[in-house]
Amino acid sequence: MLRVSAKVTETTIDINMINGERKEGVSNLEYGEELMKFAETLSSRNEIDLAAARKQLLFVAGPEVLVDAAGVAANFQRMVRIADAMGIPVDTKESELSNKIRQDLDLYRFASAENSA
Amino acid sequence: MNHFNYLDSPYLVREDIKMAHREYWTTLASPGSWWTGKERTAIAREVRNATSCGFCQERKQALSPYSFSGEHHHSENSPDKAELSSLAIDAVHRIVTDQNRITQAYVEANSDAGFTEEQYVELAGIVVAVFSIDEFNRGLGLELEPLPSPSEGEPTHYRPSQAIRGTGFVSMIPPDGATGAESDLWDGRTANVLRALTLVPDALRDWTRLAAAQYLSMEGMANMIGQDDRSINRMQMELIAGRVSSYNECFY
Repeated sequence: MLRVSAKVTETTIDINMINGERKEGVSNLEYGEELMKFAETLSSRNEIDLAAARKQLLFVAGPEVLVDAAGVAANFQRMVRIADAMGIPVDTKESELSNKIRQDLDLYRFASAENSA
Repeated sequence: MNHFNYLDSPYLVREDIKMAHREYWTTLASPGSWWTGKERTAIAREVRNATSCGFCQERKQALSPYSFSGEHHHSENSPDKAELSSLAIDAVHRIVTDQNRITQAYVEANSDAGFTEEQYVELAGIVVAVFSIDEFNRGLGLELEPLPSPSEGEPTHYRPSQAIRGTGFVSMIPPDGATGAESDLWDGRTANVLRALTLVPDALRDWTRLAAAQYLSMEGMANMIGQDDRSINRMQMELIAGRVSSYNECFY
């Protein structure tokens, strides 16, 4: 979805940034660095780091962005658990582009890749 | 009690988010398809126990989570042990803390021991909904919402007749099965993540309502640019989504 939305909006991004690798790309996205840090620290459950990330996001982007970002992060804390708890395979196993993205992101290292084998 | 006022929030929370969370709390307290309101709120309470469970933290480090024995953390005076079986409690904890190592063998062993796939699916739906609502509050640095008081009544024991095995660990409604009482679930095309909880159709209805407020509606997902009623565009949303998914080691 990130790649599709980047293509539609003609924005250059490095998709590897979702793995936490800070390369070129995040800076092309408004508040990209702060949104990434917020998502990452929420997931890691490090409350000190989360408080710092929240403060920084609030400082650069304001409360509306913080609230919307919290909503999206909370939503995906749910979605990943639905997918893995039910063991669903990916819908696009045959798609060359999707497989390339998974390879680029090295997603086959995850235990739940087994569900799509 | 009027839940989700967000009066302690220093930030204005959108009305649709308040409403979605409030509606879910009402649903949570009510009898479901396979669990009573009391059991459903006990599952929700167990979600909160799981986030601070020392045993779960140790098990997550183990090479195999299935060869590691011990006792899950319970809050003092927690009535949940009486409300839920040890298998149900363990399932809640695994879904919260170690979801990507859940296997078909684990789900089937539970089923053989009397914890049915229907109960498992409804339980999972409750776990993920409560967890995501709690995560929203935690993201904003807010206290967690008090759990609702359970309503009386019995579960419906409704199982959609078109649900079949063949995808994932549990029975699901097939792509062409959104018919009859389930015709509202999707219109035409679907995806495995939409079908995942359809053994308990209300579990899917619950998460799509929550998703519409926290993220995007089904219709909104087709918009790859961004919605006027959101302060972040679609690419910013997907950056957050991707990072959360990657951190959780989600292949899907």
